[in-house]
Amino acid sequence: MRLKAQHIEHFYAQEHILHDINLEIESSCITAIVGESGSGKTTLLAILSSLLRASSGSVHYDDISLEAIKNIDEFRKKNIGFVFQFHYLIDYLNIEENITLNALDATKSSVLLKALGIKHLASRYSDEVSGGERQRAAIARALINDPTFVFADEPTGNLDTKNAIGVFELFKEFKETGFVVATHDKKIIDYADTIIEMEDGFVKNIYTQ
Amino acid sequence: MYSTMLKTDGDIIVTQKGISDTFFSDINRSLGLKIEKIENVKKVNTLILGASPVNNLPIVGIYGVSKNRFENYRLIRGKYPDLHEVMVGEKINNILQAPKTVTISKKEFKVSGVYKSDIGFEDGGVVIGLEDASSIFHKSASLFLVTLDDINKQDISAQINALDDGIEAKTTDEFIDNYNQFKIIKISSDVISSLAFLMGILGIVSMMSMVVNDRKVEFGIMRSLGFSSRAIIIKLIAETLIVAILAYLCAIALSYLILDAIGHMEKFQGYINGDITPSLAISVFFISIIMATLGSLLPAIWASRVDPMSLILQGGAR
Repeated sequence: MRLKAQHIEHFYAQEHILHDINLEIESSCITAIVGESGSGKTTLLAILSSLLRASSGSVHYDDISLEAIKNIDEFRKKNIGFVFQFHYLIDYLNIEENITLNALDATKSSVLLKALGIKHLASRYSDEVSGGERQRAAIARALINDPTFVFADEPTGNLDTKNAIGVFELFKEFKETGFVVATHDKKIIDYADTIIEMEDGFVKNIYTQ
Repeated sequence: MYSTMLKTDGDIIVTQKGISDTFFSDINRSLGLKIEKIENVKKVNTLILGASPVNNLPIVGIYGVSKNRFENYRLIRGKYPDLHEVMVGEKINNILQAPKTVTISKKEFKVSGVYKSDIGFEDGGVVIGLEDASSIFHKSASLFLVTLDDINKQDISAQINALDDGIEAKTTDEFIDNYNQFKIIKISSDVISSLAFLMGILGIVSMMSMVVNDRKVEFGIMRSLGFSSRAIIIKLIAETLIVAILAYLCAIALSYLILDAIGHMEKFQGYINGDITPSLAISVFFISIIMATLGSLLPAIWASRVDPMSLILQGGAR
């Protein structure tokens, strides 16, 4: 699946956040959106992932425009996963229950837990595991429905170097899924297939490695 | 309660015309004989209702009754009273520690027996013959309770009313519905119930709003995972309903315990004798369900509208 953004403009409280963004992102690869704070990378991520509607322009998943999708919740459930800076696990659910919260097939959780190395934590609660393990659980939750794209906003922002590298290596392991990662973390450069460099709301460079 | 006492005895109640309270009613006892002669009238009980200090108790209900009503009281000790004798309710007997005599309005009466009544109002009272009651309260009779064969009550009421301009005959249900004291109690309880209902809804709205605010992240995550607004609304209302049902069960159990405790408190002489009937329990159940649904609806809608973007913004990014 190909994600295509055309002429994206976005304003927030009369401030021009994004200027004429045009880009294409392939699934099955890691795409990093990098840039300084305020460069517009998170806003772009939110627009690409359907969380935010652009002031103008269009986002297409293959030939389907986000605007034309009637049931965006269902589309999100089947095609999109999210990983946030904070794990946002629900504290009254254990790790496995968090992962299967909106799963189309809950039986996949055990395979996923094993792949992410947290199978032994399935019955624990979020306050009983480490920060790195929580983020792994959040990644498992994002992957449970085999989405085409997982959007990650500063997924390593709260992790130490070792855990941060662990997260990027995990992204690399799931070859079928496209990861779009907005981050400050320069370590992403070693893992990303495509890097989109943002500056003051403009795409400054797009390069593939 | 007084209304229960009236309801369980007689089809028609005859009182003085235009009185606001049966305690003030004064009618001629001899009218009872005329009423008894009306076709299809089965029984006429004559009552004098009053209240007076009894021994050291400041106020006790005194029931002056005709002999044919004695059988309404279940004797647990002694016999029905003759002249200058009384029988006392079980509660009063306990409070006064099984007295041999009682003083009512400066007159001493021998206690002939002790009765038990399921109606707390009667169980906390003293029953006396009509002659003695008449001398204490200076009236011939307060009211007649008329029992009929299975026949049109309205028709007999009209015949009784035609006997004397100074009396008023009503069916028991009519009487209770129109009796000022009961009307005041009913209106007051309706007003209090309505206010409690509104306060309950506001309380749930306020509590659930705090819950939604506290769980904003959870709802944001659910929205980002593809939960529909409807699913979130249903989830929150279902949670509130479960709490409401548990609260209802606790409230019913607690009410039974409290009412039972009050019923056994000598201080109230059995006058407060609340009862939770199955129909009342069912009504309260449905009211609880309605309250929980209405009270949680608005917070549930707010929860369903939590913008998942807020999860990103909490990270401080842009």
